Amino acid sequence: MTAGPAGPGPGGTGAAETGAGHGSIRLVEERCTSCMVCARECPSWCITIDSHTEPVTDLPAGSRERTQNVLDRFEIDWSLCMYCGICVDECPFDALAWEPGHTDAAVSAVVLQHGIEELRGR
Amino acid sequence: MTGVRCAPEDWVGTTRDAVARGYGFFEWLGAVDEIGRAGAPGDVLRVVLVLRDPASPGAPTLRLTTELPRDGPRLDSLGHVFAGARWHEREVAEMFGVVFVGGDPRRLLLGAEFEGTPMRKDEVLAARAATPWPGAKEPGETAASPSRRRMAPPGAPDPTVWGDRDPADSPAPAEEVAASAVGGRARRRRP
Repeated sequence: MTAGPAGPGPGGTGAAETGAGHGSIRLVEERCTSCMVCARECPSWCITIDSHTEPVTDLPAGSRERTQNVLDRFEIDWSLCMYCGICVDECPFDALAWEPGHTDAAVSAVVLQHGIEELRGR
Repeated sequence: MTGVRCAPEDWVGTTRDAVARGYGFFEWLGAVDEIGRAGAPGDVLRVVLVLRDPASPGAPTLRLTTELPRDGPRLDSLGHVFAGARWHEREVAEMFGVVFVGGDPRRLLLGAEFEGTPMRKDEVLAARAATPWPGAKEPGETAASPSRRRMAPPGAPDPTVWGDRDPADSPAPAEEVAASAVGGRARRRRP
């Protein structure tokens, strides 16, 4: 492949112009509601989510008690992921996004299990 | 897309008629295993052929379908109408077990030693049945507060149907295996 101008079409990834490089997947943690949709839609079963519920504290006086989900662990196993992007498409809260940068190679498959910190973006 | 359904014995004739009407461009040929699907014709493999009219590229394509029994499906090859159809037929043959009479009998993608018909819905991915599914948990569910709701992954059959089935029982019929592997809310185990 020749080094041409980066752009959509043959020879370029289009990442520079559109910001849509499909190198890896980023987690926007504050948008995630732990709804499990991505983990259930993933065809390669590479997303693992742990969460728990906590009571909502800042409620107006007199309102009914409510709970919300709190994300404890969000893990993508890059040794299983096939970069299909179904999780990015299916997320109802846009908490997953394509990231142009690729995941680094690793000496063992365990190192390819990335948690919230690694997935938050570079 | 306009659709035409025909009997298996009229497959080549219907295709030739469509070509005579201008649908001379072969787009693709594939198959669908209809077993276990609610409202489906039942125990059949549906072979689908999509043709296009090259004189009007934007016009809707023509879809020809025919239904074959899952047990011993045979269909006349379209290789004499469209030479390129043989390639698609080879894939349908190895993936669904359809015999194309007069077609190319060689395999296209699978190795010679591979046994089975991977795209049939009663073909079980054994590794899936044995691996815990990460989507089984409910949002906010922890070991301390388990949820009563249970989700099953698509593609992995109910263990009572395939896997943990009572060895004294005969193997589950193909229809039951396919129907138990659709995923979603897990069915209540039979008593």
